[in-house]
Amino acid sequence: MALIKDQQLSLSHAATPHIRFADWLDDDLVISDAVLTNGADDLACLLANANKLSVIAIEFETFADGRGFSMARMLRRDGYQGEIRAVGDVAMDRIEFMHRVGFNAFELREDQDALQALAKLGEVSVHFQPSADGKGPAYMR
Amino acid sequence: MYAYNQFDQTLVDQRVDQYRDQTRRYLAGEIPEAEFRVLRLMNGLYIQRLAPMLRVAIPYGLMKSDQLRTLAQISRTYDKGYGHFTTRQNMQFNWPTLESVPDILADLAKVQMHAIQTSGACIRNTTTDPFAGVSADEIEDTRPWCEMIRQWSTLHPEFAYLPRKFKIAVSGSSSDRAASQVHDIGLHLYHNEQGEMGFEVLVGGGLGRTPVIGKTVRKFLEPQELLSYLDAVLRVYNLNGRRDNKYKARIKILVNAVGIDAFAEMVEAEWQFTKGKDLRLPTAEIERVKGFFKPPNYLSVENAQSSLKAEMAAHPQFAKWYKQNTRDHKQPGYRIVVVALKNQLQAPGDVSHQQMDGIASLADQFSFAELRSTHDQNLVLADVAQRDLLSLWLKLTDLGMARANIGTLTDMINCPGLDFCSLANAETLILSRQINETFDDMDYQYELGEIQLKISGCINACGHHHVGHIGILGVEKGGKQVYQFTLGGSASNDASLGKTLGRSIDQDQVVVVIGQILDVYVQQRKTDETFLQTVRRIGFAPFKERVYGTHQRSAA
Ligand code: HEM
Ligand code: SF4
Repeated sequence: MALIKDQQLSLSHAATPHIRFADWLDDDLVISDAVLTNGADDLACLLANANKLSVIAIEFETFADGRGFSMARMLRRDGYQGEIRAVGDVAMDRIEFMHRVGFNAFELREDQDALQALAKLGEVSVHFQPSADGKGPAYMR
Repeated sequence: MYAYNQFDQTLVDQRVDQYRDQTRRYLAGEIPEAEFRVLRLMNGLYIQRLAPMLRVAIPYGLMKSDQLRTLAQISRTYDKGYGHFTTRQNMQFNWPTLESVPDILADLAKVQMHAIQTSGACIRNTTTDPFAGVSADEIEDTRPWCEMIRQWSTLHPEFAYLPRKFKIAVSGSSSDRAASQVHDIGLHLYHNEQGEMGFEVLVGGGLGRTPVIGKTVRKFLEPQELLSYLDAVLRVYNLNGRRDNKYKARIKILVNAVGIDAFAEMVEAEWQFTKGKDLRLPTAEIERVKGFFKPPNYLSVENAQSSLKAEMAAHPQFAKWYKQNTRDHKQPGYRIVVVALKNQLQAPGDVSHQQMDGIASLADQFSFAELRSTHDQNLVLADVAQRDLLSLWLKLTDLGMARANIGTLTDMINCPGLDFCSLANAETLILSRQINETFDDMDYQYELGEIQLKISGCINACGHHHVGHIGILGVEKGGKQVYQFTLGGSASNDASLGKTLGRSIDQDQVVVVIGQILDVYVQQRKTDETFLQTVRRIGFAPFKERVYGTHQRSAA
């Protein structure tokens, strides 16, 4: 599995978090600082617990499920500084937008070429709106 | 109008390259079909029954003459020499090849145009009043605000994979010509009691399978916070809209499920995080954008006027056209001219490349090189001096675009239906042909006054049939194409959804039934009463009696 992290190809990295956020929350015996979540989880609860986590993997069951974009954006807005990793149906044609909203790690789908994907970051270099990447809207330049 | 700077141009150019690469990878088998579908839709490319269809964005319907010439050129080079103006003020090409689309987009980029977000589950082209900035009844020019929304929503990283498409319309006049109450968000610019300018925000309107009139989610929004508020609505929708069923995924379903008050609270809660921050529009930015929409160099009244009365007396057809197809202008000595794309020979909204070139020249000559498309599929030359009207009319007549039928029965809206659309249940273009043949007496149409006839080929309602004074919906029953009539809809200030008249009607009886409905109106109307007013006053019974009472022509 290829992982792009902090705009580089990452060869040594932690495996995909396998503990679901809901289980982590329910069971005090589950000790981990990495969880797997998706749009079905309670977002307010995730935000409230984010400071206890160092990796939050947001799962895209299908690429069309755009909830993960807002989740990442809100985590960053709340000041979360750990890793936000996109997992599941993750392809090169979406990682630029994912990057802009706050994802900093991408576990690419198997058919994806990691180097080709890396080149997609910054394919469109100008932005009209502020986002989690700190780049201001056009009028603030 | 707005002109791109280096920044806008870079974005559009890079987007063309990005799409070119996506097309190349798709053709090389590197992008799965289902995924490319979504990528191409975000660039306005549908695959239709006969060929792909490309939808080009005309932001809030405003174009320069050069842009229209480019559209004409594209239709010659890549299509069959014509284009189609849609009900969301865009242009569609029905016959480009998938392979040629990157080249078309590159041609568009040269004249500051694109097809970004003209389709797909994202924020679509913002639409507005085609008379913005010129209409006599205007409260505030909507175009700068539409432009600010266009910029904010373009390639928005967070809102590209919404539950469903999202459409915003802005109105700034006492009469709503933007159908703002049937959009996901409708914005009304107005002055409150303190005399401050702001937006009333409506949410959850829409047509399609479940037609709904929008509800007020915020009575008054300070204009500087327009984007932060939209951002909050979109985030609430993105996180909470249904994704399990595409027919229940529009924001209207969410708003109805939680109730407008609870929805407003959700938005307010989210807005607290973004209000007053980086999405707050600086006054300097508002002024900068407004600067693009300053009035042109109008002639003085004395120079703009002519002996209109004498001209009308000499040309009775011109007089009819003046009355029917021109509107009051803010600027004394000027008129707004609606150019009808509703002649007898072409489908509503269709325009040939010769007509596009012709109209572009007329815009250069008579209307400061700008023009607009309307949501009822016509064009507008917004700033014509009175002294030029007669020459303009003569030239429009040569182009076959001077039919004096704006606002009448034959100024109908029509979706492409079975001729082009893979979702259609029934043909629609054949109906517009039949209607044009049957009701070709213009004097009869003037007699009838304002009638909005809107036709859709299936429940998706691209032809807005729910808000037609007379709506016609194509349905399929037992392998036969039949048509359901609705009466009493409206998309204006008094927005309402039409109600079904009764059993469906066979294709060859549609014009007969329209005739019967009109007969009832003519018999029952009071002086000066419009069709819609009569329907609202007398109810459905007399119409039902006439259409179904004595005849057995229903299609079961
Ligand atoms: C020919 C290919 C077309 C296809 C496949 C198509 C498909 C659709 C679908 C599926 C919907 C329903 C969306 C929903 O309910 O969420 C829809 C709605 C709509 N379409 Fe089309 N359409 C086509 C052409 C057009 C054309 C030519 C126009 C304009 C003349 C148009 C204007 C609209 C409008 C205004 C709606 C409004 C419904 C709403 O937003 O609530 N479409 N279309
Ligand atoms: S209303 Fe139906 S038939 Fe008409 S264009 Fe839309 S989807 Fe096609």
